[in-house]
Amino acid sequence: MRDRGAWPGIVVVVLLAVVFLILPHVYGNQSLLFQMMTFVVLTQGLNLLYGFTGYLPFGYVGFFGAGAYATSLLVLHTDLPVIACVIGGGIGSIVIAIILGPLLRLSGAYFSIANLAASQIMFFVVSNGNLSKITGGPYGLKIDRVYAPEASYLTMLAILLLATGLAAYFRASRFGLGLRAMTQDPVSAAMAGIDVVRQRVLVWLASAGIAGLAGGTYAWNLSVFYPDAVFTLQISVFAIVFALFGGVGTVIGPIIGAASLYLLYNGIGISFPQGFELLYGALIVLLVLFLPNGVSSLLTRRGVRVF
Amino acid sequence: MAKSKSRIAAACVAGAAMSALAAGSAGAATAPAVLKIGTLYASSGSFAVASEGQYQGLQFWAAGVNKAGGVFVKAFDKKIPVKIIAYDDQSSTATATTLYNQLITQDKVNLLVADFGSVLTSVAVPLAAEHHMLLIDPTGSGANFFTKKTHYLADVSIPASTVWPIPLGDYLLKQKIKRVAVLYGSNDFDASQANTLKAVLAKGGVKPVYFHGVPTSESNYTVLLHTIAARRPDVVIELGYPPNDIAFLRALSGSGLHFNMTFTIFPGQLLALLTKNVGAKTLAYTYTYPTPPLVKFSHVTSGLNTDDFVKTYTAAKHEAPNFLNAAGYNTGVIMQDMLKTAPQFTQISFDRALLGMSGKTKTLLGAFKMTDHGAQLGELLPVAQLVPQGKGNKIVVVYPKAKATGKAVYPAPKT
Amino acid sequence: MVGLLEYAVIGGILYGLFFSLIGIGLNLIFGVMRIINLAHGQFIMLGGFGAYLLSRDLGLNPLFGIPLAIAGAIVIGYPLYYAVVPRLQKSHDPEMLSFILFFGIAQIIEALAVFGFGADQRSLPGDALGAGNLGVLGQEFPDSWWVAVLVSVLAIGGLYGYFARTKLGYATRAIMADRDEARATGINVDRVSAIAFVMGLALAGAAGVFVPYLLGSVSPDIGTGLTTTSFAIIIIGSLGNPLGTVVGGLVFGLGTMLMQTFYASWSNLVPYVLLVVIVLIRPSGLLGKAVRHA
Repeated sequence: MRDRGAWPGIVVVVLLAVVFLILPHVYGNQSLLFQMMTFVVLTQGLNLLYGFTGYLPFGYVGFFGAGAYATSLLVLHTDLPVIACVIGGGIGSIVIAIILGPLLRLSGAYFSIANLAASQIMFFVVSNGNLSKITGGPYGLKIDRVYAPEASYLTMLAILLLATGLAAYFRASRFGLGLRAMTQDPVSAAMAGIDVVRQRVLVWLASAGIAGLAGGTYAWNLSVFYPDAVFTLQISVFAIVFALFGGVGTVIGPIIGAASLYLLYNGIGISFPQGFELLYGALIVLLVLFLPNGVSSLLTRRGVRVF
Repeated sequence: MAKSKSRIAAACVAGAAMSALAAGSAGAATAPAVLKIGTLYASSGSFAVASEGQYQGLQFWAAGVNKAGGVFVKAFDKKIPVKIIAYDDQSSTATATTLYNQLITQDKVNLLVADFGSVLTSVAVPLAAEHHMLLIDPTGSGANFFTKKTHYLADVSIPASTVWPIPLGDYLLKQKIKRVAVLYGSNDFDASQANTLKAVLAKGGVKPVYFHGVPTSESNYTVLLHTIAARRPDVVIELGYPPNDIAFLRALSGSGLHFNMTFTIFPGQLLALLTKNVGAKTLAYTYTYPTPPLVKFSHVTSGLNTDDFVKTYTAAKHEAPNFLNAAGYNTGVIMQDMLKTAPQFTQISFDRALLGMSGKTKTLLGAFKMTDHGAQLGELLPVAQLVPQGKGNKIVVVYPKAKATGKAVYPAPKT
Repeated sequence: MVGLLEYAVIGGILYGLFFSLIGIGLNLIFGVMRIINLAHGQFIMLGGFGAYLLSRDLGLNPLFGIPLAIAGAIVIGYPLYYAVVPRLQKSHDPEMLSFILFFGIAQIIEALAVFGFGADQRSLPGDALGAGNLGVLGQEFPDSWWVAVLVSVLAIGGLYGYFARTKLGYATRAIMADRDEARATGINVDRVSAIAFVMGLALAGAAGVFVPYLLGSVSPDIGTGLTTTSFAIIIIGSLGNPLGTVVGGLVFGLGTMLMQTFYASWSNLVPYVLLVVIVLIRPSGLLGKAVRHA
């Protein structure tokens, strides 16, 4: 395999930055752009774990929600600048990921669903009425004092670049090579001197941290929200569907997958609100049947090595 | 931090200047050919039933005014037809966020109406404020929304859920009912009512014998009812959403248990739906908060009164309206009055017009009273009992006295 | 308070047996095909609406919803199987691709249900399965619960008989153990899998008939919640082992009812906490073989 170093990663990161800095000047619905970035980040974060270790976190939204709550509670109870609170959200998610570390002992569907259960547990605990004094419980949280769509947009962009940079690093570095060897054959990878467990845990924490940062920024952008807005399973399902659609284990696959399916989702929602769910469902079925390895496979089939 | 703060401040100033410009030009410029009213509805998901009801009510209003040549806009001194631009948010707050923004920034609607309920309204509150749009909020009554003075939020069709149970609590105290069991859903709407009720009862020295929240998704009440019955309550109050009320009442009728008084919320709003699902016999002698059209307001200053609304709506849509249809229609009527009185075609002028109408306007939902925080204080919901009549039940208001149409049958006979 | 405990325990067993029926179809399909039927809950919902239509339009007893569910599963299941499953299995990751595909199918079913039936809640006549209460050890439960439990036990017993006594059942078990080996020994893997797929949908639809009785009502939006709960139950029992589902269902039912009685507001945590704890102690579920790869 030819090593092209860091260049492809830098190109993708710069391109993303340019596109998302220009778009708001061309297209006025900044919420849509913001949410699109959010889903690209989540899809990329999920890809870090699934694409490079084979662990599919069905409950990925749990880290997103944890970040949203950690950030909001920091905003409410400290005088820290919002950016610091968002970073706190990322750290909060990493802490949760450490607690959930033992789940990595599970394999395949068991891991996926145990992770889903963990995210449901977080949701139910946060929204429980007995904890209203701490988490706002069913009443949700309100941080509109710091509401700033522009600043939160730029923060989400920064997180997008970070997530993409990480994916590019995984894709191009020895670390990533080890990861892929591990996914394909953990036993020989271990024999080749790769510390399987340590690497896997590092990826797990990075993936959780990305979701936490995204959740914190998302909460900042919403600024008034109920628990289900940041814990709804729909977020996990979207991230998974987008990632698989784009093609996992690559850098640009998840970006293309999330951006195109999310735009499609909104395009249908705005132009044909009546048949929205039906059309979206039918499209997904058709895509899986006729494009089962994601859109990036269109390129791979033609002999292009997708970054 | 200082930097990011100043950038935010700059953005705010720029935004304000731009919107002031836009508002100014709109005020001075010629009248639009149509008045664009943007709103969202949910065709699927957990809020679909209520949301579609509200949306149909608003559509009914729009069809009515357009037949009469549009709404009268004082700022332009003429009638302008209305056009509703509506998107489907599928009960998802994430989708709703982008769609509200779509309405504001792309469709540039003149008036912004929120979707049903607090959850789908919540995401529009900061967005509307940011874009200096008045958010006309038919039924989003979360206590969190109305914490400060604002020009950009107006709850028009429903009082905050925190005040709903006040008459109910007073009634229980007046009837000297001491053994009260309260079971509520863990969500803003139900939990805030449960807590208000608890506080009202505490003032009268009554402490509930059972007071527990259950998950909003709760659907199995058989074992819960048995646990409640073990505390020997006289009254069981279940505060939920329609699926909860249905599951609760069905479990109650199947369980063979009987209480002197049973209270649920939604028979008073969606009587047809509840009757279809649990049967008239199960509902007989239970209590609820009755809402229009189950209670009538005949003297109105704006729009149709409750009876005429029921007649016209039934004729037009071939089905009798429920509360949410009435709430949607009421939203239109309030906007109509607002446009009739606002001297300028700006969002702030609209908000001032609404505050000016507060306390003077009466519609099919009763009195319209709004605070400068945007909260609705209109009619307090009375307490009513469902009393068998023919194959169904009729609503008998039992409290407060001024509105009462009969006396409660207490204890409820076994049916 | 002793009465309360007994009531919760008996209620939990009954509720748990019914939830075994809710989950078993998902597990059967996963066990045989390694396909994650994310539309499982939507098929349960369709079963509920089928019984509703029979009862409302033809005045039939809702129990006729069970044969209707079987017929529906055949009509929908066979074409669906041949349209998607063999294709999925040829792909690089059938488990995960089936996840997206059936997410799409779930969306389609939910949208069609809203078009066809409206978004409202619907119920079945309260007395159609008996209006009284039946007691065990002095603890009374509505007749409809007992009917639902009886059907669940019969259905699961029937499935057990199918596995243990019939040729097709043996073949199904062989496929569950090792698909390629089964193919090598001359088993018509596609035909046997298609039957298992149809059975999985039929079991889901049959469970749906009782949803209006045990869960109050049926509406197009209940699918996702049922799928998630089913997942919890089959993982607690152990994936791919349909009979483990009964254990999972019982653990879920008992846990939920005991929590409801003593700590009502936390009852929704039960299936998920149990799941996490159990898989951490026994990584392949209560009845699973304790295998783990690296």
